[in-house]
Amino acid sequence: MAGKESTLSHYLRSPTLLIIVFVILGMLVARIMGMSTLDTLMTIMYFMGIALSLNIIMGFAGYVSFGHAVFLGLGGYAYVLLVYFIKPLADLQSLGFGLGAFLVAVLAGLFAAAIAASVGAAVLRLRGAFFAIATIGLDFTALYLMKAIVPELNPEQFFGAQIILPADKIVEKDVVFNAMFLTLIILLAVNYYIRKSPFGVGLTAIKEDEDAAEVLGVPTTMFKIIAFTLAGFFTGMVGALFSLNGGGVDETLFNLGHSIDMIVMIVIGGLGTVLGPIVGSLIYFELYDLLLVHYPGVNLIILGIIVAIVVLFFPEGLIGLLRKYKVKGVRLRDLLE
Amino acid sequence: MEDILVVENVTKRFGGLVANNKVSFSMRRGEILGLIGPNGAGKTTLFNVITGVYRPDEGRVIFKGEDITGKPPHVITRKGIAKTHQIVKPFNDMTVLENAMVGALFGKRARQITIGEAKEIAYQSLELVGLAEKSEEFAVKLTLRQKKMLELARALSAEPELLLLDEVLAGLNPKEIEEALEIIKKVKEERDLSIIMIEHVMHAVMNIADRIVVLHFGWKIAEGTPEEVANNPEVITAYLGDPRYALRFVKRKGGEEDGSS
Repeated sequence: MAGKESTLSHYLRSPTLLIIVFVILGMLVARIMGMSTLDTLMTIMYFMGIALSLNIIMGFAGYVSFGHAVFLGLGGYAYVLLVYFIKPLADLQSLGFGLGAFLVAVLAGLFAAAIAASVGAAVLRLRGAFFAIATIGLDFTALYLMKAIVPELNPEQFFGAQIILPADKIVEKDVVFNAMFLTLIILLAVNYYIRKSPFGVGLTAIKEDEDAAEVLGVPTTMFKIIAFTLAGFFTGMVGALFSLNGGGVDETLFNLGHSIDMIVMIVIGGLGTVLGPIVGSLIYFELYDLLLVHYPGVNLIILGIIVAIVVLFFPEGLIGLLRKYKVKGVRLRDLLE
Repeated sequence: MEDILVVENVTKRFGGLVANNKVSFSMRRGEILGLIGPNGAGKTTLFNVITGVYRPDEGRVIFKGEDITGKPPHVITRKGIAKTHQIVKPFNDMTVLENAMVGALFGKRARQITIGEAKEIAYQSLELVGLAEKSEEFAVKLTLRQKKMLELARALSAEPELLLLDEVLAGLNPKEIEEALEIIKKVKEERDLSIIMIEHVMHAVMNIADRIVVLHFGWKIAEGTPEEVANNPEVITAYLGDPRYALRFVKRKGGEEDGSS
């Protein structure tokens, strides 16, 4: 069963990995050749980033974190407040072609992760709809806390919960691109690693039947908290760089609409895989754009109908659907992860 | 021989209902112990106490000399106790092999084996229970008999020393029961296992078990060899009600003696 083969040739034969590399290179080429505007690429990376982040808890472990925008908001606020009040961090941002901004975003992500880890133990006891509702509650709690706290931090400059970063505290957009690009590569690697590791097998078992998983030896509570914390960490990082790109932050980052974006992208692409959120976010982005251009005003209504059709008739998503078929005797299930 | 498992004075209450009432027994390594009793006697509850799903209100569970009372299920599994579920719980969206791999990856050798090794352990377990050729099928497509065997294979992949079987024979036809019993005997020999089995199929459990423990309304009412237990008046009362009435019932029915229900 287990023949000797080099790891490299093994990886080369994995279409999943090839697709991931192709996506990364594609963005790099588009960036260098100037095929897309920086803003378009940032938006694509933002969508893909939040989908891949939520995928860790929702796709693999089956826990639908409906208020996941909370970590987007926490990451965004953490980042903006850090560079606003701590001068060395503001200076660090522009160093190393984006590496500095990436490091500050890691700090912001760690803040989001700390919140995720501390509330995770409590909310992850709940299942299904109750878990989803608890995360929505978390989102609103954080939103109103920000609304109350932020104006107090600097009453002369902050109006409401909105913070606009002054010119000396922001960086060039291509620096933000680099930091986001690096974050996305790490996110892709983490998703792929989880999918291939015992940890991922354990999460899938939790999704299928949590009680059976526990009795079979899966440390379910710990695994769920780790997955939720990772999902919070990366969502926080994406929220941080998204805010930096926009030159500031306001409370709309906590909007449930962002949560719904993430969920819809994963559902369109397919739950429980790495390719699902990648493909889902690309489709969602194109769809969003097309509908906005051609049917302004009713674009969201049409999008909603499309999503409803997908959920009703193809609940396994595009990748999930493809995985059911065989091509020339090869099961796509073994190729698309 | 050393006792692999000692259950001491275990009491488990659910509100006012006492599911297990001061239950004590011990079993030796290599034994097959039958756990029988009418519906609601507290058999599955006792399994759940042993595997850590429930924490007992009183009493202790000692496995290989170590007190494991109230430890979480995944910890107990790693120590070497595996269980099959009465109501089968396959991971439907995973293949049969992947199902068994979960057992291997998180069982006795959790964190010490690679995915590749887990695959091999899983495949061996599937061969042992006769499911090897179904290894690439999705678990949801299996028949009930196959799902029961998958439960067994999954538990075996954890490489346990003590195996708890919760009604693996229920719902099977007589021929399938014979096959399943052969598999259990084979598995016990090859893996050097100790087994506790909850069973309602009387002739089966009477045949295969070395000793039997009988529960009734949460109490242990009898313990002994299959013959001793079968002739114990309290056991007969528990199963059939008043023995005099039972006797009349047997006579009227012309001596049908099949205890299975």
